[in-house]
Amino acid sequence: MTAARSVEHAEHFESLERQAHAARLGMWVFLATEVLLFGAAFALFLTYQVQFSHAFRAGVAHNTKVLGSVNTAVLLLSSTLVACAVHALRRGDAKLAARLVGGTIALGLTFLVIKGIEYGKHFDEGIYPGGVGHYFTLHPIRGLAAFWTLYFGMTALHALHVTIGAGVLGVLLHAIVRGRLGRETAYRLEVGAIYWHLVDVIWIFLWPLFYLA
Amino acid sequence: MSSFTVPRTVSRTAVALFVLWAASFALSYAHLGAASLLVALAIAAAKAALVVMFFMELVSESLSMKLTLAAAGGLLAILVGLMAADVATREPPPLLPPTREPAAHEPAPAEPGVPSR
Repeated sequence: MTAARSVEHAEHFESLERQAHAARLGMWVFLATEVLLFGAAFALFLTYQVQFSHAFRAGVAHNTKVLGSVNTAVLLLSSTLVACAVHALRRGDAKLAARLVGGTIALGLTFLVIKGIEYGKHFDEGIYPGGVGHYFTLHPIRGLAAFWTLYFGMTALHALHVTIGAGVLGVLLHAIVRGRLGRETAYRLEVGAIYWHLVDVIWIFLWPLFYLA
Repeated sequence: MSSFTVPRTVSRTAVALFVLWAASFALSYAHLGAASLLVALAIAAAKAALVVMFFMELVSESLSMKLTLAAAGGLLAILVGLMAADVATREPPPLLPPTREPAAHEPAPAEPGVPSR
């Protein structure tokens, strides 16, 4: 590979290819731990769902379904953009890659704004985590507080991941613009993109649990 | 300026994802009852598989990556599966103390709160 020789690899790696493989494997191992973190939360959700299915259906029926669904589309589109960005950078089109990464970050921020609007609506209705708020005195259904507490906890944990992902992509965007990331080092953007996709995958499961079924 | 065309894998995956998104949204208005959660989760699993395989490019990764993710998925399935199975098959907690029919030769139990003489 002539392209790989033009960029220096770290001393302890045989080649840039090996270095890229190690970087990707490291990210996958990290993602496996993330899956376990969210997995515990999903297990908790399903446990309460089985116990209080009536309350959970009432919670879902009351949730901001349209905003949540728009947010799903926003994240799916952002994943598509960052996947295109990786391909563009691999072909050496840094300018287009930078635009696509910029678009991904913008969509991530859009997601956070919509999430904030949703939280605002819930607070206006008197729905707070821990079963606090006048909504729960008006609707004394056993398990309803558990639904909304899990909703706030899991979506806030996810929003934190969106924020971190947008930050990571921001650093990568800066590197592309400065010319420090190019065709040979596209694997770095790839690693950041993989993290972004995982954030998308987690939301793919949060959406039906809290908004649809 | 090099001409960039969106790779077919990416465009096809994106189209499939949005079709599934629309299907999931539309199905949420159909009254499927208890099956709605399972249907929604099945569609979510299909979408997640598309993202992991083609956007995260696991399909062209080495065996070590595939094993790492398979281990995470397998452990997660055990965790969630056993927890849900436990809760779903639990006996309901006794809300009332067990009652017993009085035998024919026994005197009728005294009314609660009324002292027997």
